[in-house]
Amino acid sequence: MATKMLETALRRHGDVAILDLTGEIDGFADEVLNAAYAAAEQTAPRAILLNFKGVDYINSTGIALIVGLLAQARRAGRKLLTCHLGPHYTEIFQITRLADFMSLYPDEASALAQDS
Amino acid sequence: MSNPLPPAPAPRDAAFWARPMTKITVEAVPAGAVNLNVDGHTIVSPLQGFGALWQKTYRVRLPGVTTSAADVMRVWKENFPKFQPPGNHFYPPSTGIDPGRVIFIDSTLPIFPGLPGLIPIAAGVVVIYEDDECFTVMTPDGFPESGWNTFSVTDEAGVPVAQVQSLARAADPVYEFGMYLMGGAEMQEKTWQHVLTALAAYFGVAGQVQMHKVCLDPRWQWREARNLWRNAALRTFFYLPVALARKALRR
Repeated sequence: MATKMLETALRRHGDVAILDLTGEIDGFADEVLNAAYAAAEQTAPRAILLNFKGVDYINSTGIALIVGLLAQARRAGRKLLTCHLGPHYTEIFQITRLADFMSLYPDEASALAQDS
Repeated sequence: MSNPLPPAPAPRDAAFWARPMTKITVEAVPAGAVNLNVDGHTIVSPLQGFGALWQKTYRVRLPGVTTSAADVMRVWKENFPKFQPPGNHFYPPSTGIDPGRVIFIDSTLPIFPGLPGLIPIAAGVVVIYEDDECFTVMTPDGFPESGWNTFSVTDEAGVPVAQVQSLARAADPVYEFGMYLMGGAEMQEKTWQHVLTALAAYFGVAGQVQMHKVCLDPRWQWREARNLWRNAALRTFFYLPVALARKALRR
């Protein structure tokens, strides 16, 4: 099956940088995801919101990439939020204990409202 | 009357992940394994340990091997215990490496850099993800490291490349001390280099293992120092004399 390479788009809402993620998060997403996160950090946001609405595949290597982002965020004292994970990936974030360190919101509006 | 929307199809990775678990439940213990420091424990992420967070990647290319990445991984899974260095015993479930299952480990920790391991440790890891070309294990609390290891094989321009990537930090202050002052980290690096070299040798390749390590977070997480109470090495150390005494009394 052909893989859908990860694509990202960066937006800003107040002091929150929003990264829209589309495609698959696996080992091939490494460079794209880290470059997008670095671009988001350069805007010096208070928090970075990862929007998973367009993501339809995450394997364990992809989860490790997200842990790497979380480690960077924690080191910089920055919040890392997520939205649109859906039931399956919410479960994966719970299994891998990522949910212990990230706020998971059902949609973008609730993430921005709760975090304001 | 409108029909309700059909449920969204499950993502195609759904079958590869373990089911959520609050505590590890051991269903069967393979012959020779010690069920200690696993059953009833919780799995922990790389963010829950004490020491510096390291990502270590070990890779070996298998030039000339025409076997597919999936078939190399199948061989790796089937021979996982055999590819370990002497003294490092892995006990996968008899049913194979499946999501949610425990791989028991019986090993030793070093007391000085360069010396072989002396401190016994009985523990295990949980398979949280498994597909045709990779699998990931996660550690329970009390294990020397908090985090996970991912074993994968990819096809790079027609050459299978096998990789071990660990993302972990020492679980408590004693393990952190052991990792970086008593040779634990060095021993761990030699272990995965040995495994990849053994895998390459299986396919007739004199593998050159490349290692890349990066510290993702150098800080010690002092609030996690309490993990010491679950330290599997200390528990094994105190358990073994008791187990031997019980065995002697039964005779």
